[in-house]
Amino acid sequence: MHESPLSILHVDMDAFYASVEVRDNPSLAGLPVCVGGPASGRGVISAASYEAREFGVHSAMPTSQARRLCPQLVLLPPDFDRYTETSRQIMEIFRRYTPLVEPLSLDEAFLDVSGCERLFGDAVAVGRRIKQDILAETGLVASVGVATSKFLAKLASDLDKPDGFRVIRAHEIRDVLDPLPVSKIFGVGERTAKRLEQLGVHTVRDLADKPRDEVAKEFGASGIWIHDLAHGIDTRRVTPRREEKSHGMERTFAEDIADRAELKLFLLQFCEEVAFGLRDKGLRGRTITLKARYSDFKTVTRTKTLDYPTNLGPRIFAVARDLLDRVKPGPLRLIGISVSGLLDVRAPIQETLFNGHHEGGSREDWLQTSKKLERVTGGIDKLRRKFGRDAVLPASLLGRERAKGLDGSDGKPGLE
Amino acid sequence: MKVTCDREKLREGLAVVNNVIPARSTKPVLENVKLVAKDDCLELVGTDLEVAIRYKLMSHQQVASDDESSQGDTHGLVEIAEPGVAVVPARVALDFVKDLVGNTVTLETRENTLHIFSGPDTCELVTADSDEYPTVNQFDPEDSFGIQGGVFTRLVAQTAFAAAREAGRYAMHGVLMDLSDETLKLVATDGRRLALTSHPIPTTGYSHAPVIVPAKGMQLFCRVIDDPLAQIAFHFYENEIGMRAGNAEVFARLIDGEFPKYAAVIPSSTAEHMEADADLLTRKLRLVANVTGAEARAVRLSMKTGELVLAGHSAGRGEAHAEMEVEYKGDAAEIAFNPDYVLEGLRHCEKQTVALEFNDRLSPGKFTLGESYTYIVMPITVDTH
Repeated sequence: MHESPLSILHVDMDAFYASVEVRDNPSLAGLPVCVGGPASGRGVISAASYEAREFGVHSAMPTSQARRLCPQLVLLPPDFDRYTETSRQIMEIFRRYTPLVEPLSLDEAFLDVSGCERLFGDAVAVGRRIKQDILAETGLVASVGVATSKFLAKLASDLDKPDGFRVIRAHEIRDVLDPLPVSKIFGVGERTAKRLEQLGVHTVRDLADKPRDEVAKEFGASGIWIHDLAHGIDTRRVTPRREEKSHGMERTFAEDIADRAELKLFLLQFCEEVAFGLRDKGLRGRTITLKARYSDFKTVTRTKTLDYPTNLGPRIFAVARDLLDRVKPGPLRLIGISVSGLLDVRAPIQETLFNGHHEGGSREDWLQTSKKLERVTGGIDKLRRKFGRDAVLPASLLGRERAKGLDGSDGKPGLE
Repeated sequence: MKVTCDREKLREGLAVVNNVIPARSTKPVLENVKLVAKDDCLELVGTDLEVAIRYKLMSHQQVASDDESSQGDTHGLVEIAEPGVAVVPARVALDFVKDLVGNTVTLETRENTLHIFSGPDTCELVTADSDEYPTVNQFDPEDSFGIQGGVFTRLVAQTAFAAAREAGRYAMHGVLMDLSDETLKLVATDGRRLALTSHPIPTTGYSHAPVIVPAKGMQLFCRVIDDPLAQIAFHFYENEIGMRAGNAEVFARLIDGEFPKYAAVIPSSTAEHMEADADLLTRKLRLVANVTGAEARAVRLSMKTGELVLAGHSAGRGEAHAEMEVEYKGDAAEIAFNPDYVLEGLRHCEKQTVALEFNDRLSPGKFTLGESYTYIVMPITVDTH
């Protein structure tokens, strides 16, 4: 029934951050290496080498706990610029073989290689070549899964990790899927797994054997989804550029911050970064959302929608600052800003009559300021791309350390 | 209190007042209508604190002497046997009176209830404490200015559609009323288009600083104007505006905000000038707009001597093209608009020929839709910021 061609690849780097660190400092080879935030404060592990995993250390674990499990742990602060650079190199390799590359994160992507058989051979051959290219050009090891769908390809790359290469052909689907625990199905989390267990479903086979109606009745639309996956049915296509809904940046502080002036400096930095990210992707956004989490974990958001979509840091910051003023005072453990309502910079724009009306200026003044800002920003972006993101900073951020997050990361804007 | 009144007139009055009275309110007393029996009339009073109405049913002994409208049937609407006040649930009162069959209805308070009789049928409504009911203004005929009801309704129709609806932009949620230089000017905008209309009013020097009347208040004004030829009167209070039309008085709380400086955005001199048949332009715009998508709806207008080409396209649906003859001289020019905005204005066009003026494709388009009726629409542009 399911004769899709073998054309989907899932490539997943093995312990990516940690492997980059070991590659760049060979004396670390064979040691339990981790990348993450400090054990003091609230640091967490963001990547662990396979040697560290032997001790039970894994990502998202508090660093203090990792230290207890493995006292000789080599803890390194993350260097996202380096990881991003390496990631770009890897994505370049993918694009040599197919334009249909869907990155899931810095170290993971889906590829659809159908249609490139005549140039590079079948999907299995392409997978082998990509794995070799990555090792030869970056010195890093990737696990590759080849299958007929995204779900199976991802499953395949995971089955053989590390240094894996696994193909799941159409006729092998049942043999591979059947014995797996049902939690291996994408979308079956802890809670769903528990509920399934109560229904006597432990393996993928058990789930596949259940009548579709029954699963749908129990779990609704997601029931149909997981039931399909249990049968190896996954029609999702590899989409090169996922529709980005928002672009934002947030940080949990090592220690709560109540000082508004200090918080505003963080916001200024986030806004500049987020704006840079938007420009880099050729986007503008209209809706700005501030997120603040108090020490008791109570989280509030404040939102404002602009007349005009923007990707200029000062414009975003002007709004973010006002939004922060609308948040009750108190020590915050997290603050973040995000821009949504994203539009391609080439998308048509409805012009408005009273830009800057609230600031009291005329539309002409507003347009003038925008033009100036854009010119300056264009220049700054060039410098930043050439000399690094800290080459040009707002004066108030000079001499400040980059905001460190829980995982010790510096502020890299992320997309949702 | 004890009054007897014409059933149909009472029903009509209660229906009008119920337009204002909220069906559900955090202040339950507002869900009531206040009935006030005076020597010369029965008043029906309703308010939601934003807008308020006082609707009078005049007794036959004293037909309103200062009433300029000729309400021929004001005789015998109400007979006041005993003045007094009753505050009762507004919806129930209306529904009951509506379903009665007699020609007259008698209202009588007894202890804490209001009895409604008509022939053999009765209803008892529990009355609320009238002291709890918010005070509603009395219309002050001094210092007021008058305008024909039908003219006012037209001015509101020409502008109110352009007022902002989305959250925020509080000051744009109403219509600006500016009475100066013997002219009443109404302006509404949502920041993307703006409608401005005016009408001469011999005010004998009476003028007032511009006020912003909420759209809801404007609607209510228009609803109670039942005779387009009769004069209506306005009076400005400190933070309210009052209007009297016939036997109804309506009060609207003014929007306390700064209306955008609209005069600055109306182009005074323009480079391009086109004149087109309003109906034909409407049809062509609609035609082309059919293919434009839900997002970024835009129709491009390209002009050259004697000709207008309208073009619309959408990534998913395809594209459309239309042509028409127009009055246009000069170099080729083009500008793009959201067709919905243009069509909304054209719907109120008073003339057979509509004029469009603009400077360039980034600047406001100025449509002349009547002798003193201007509509500004901001263009849609691509990659200029």
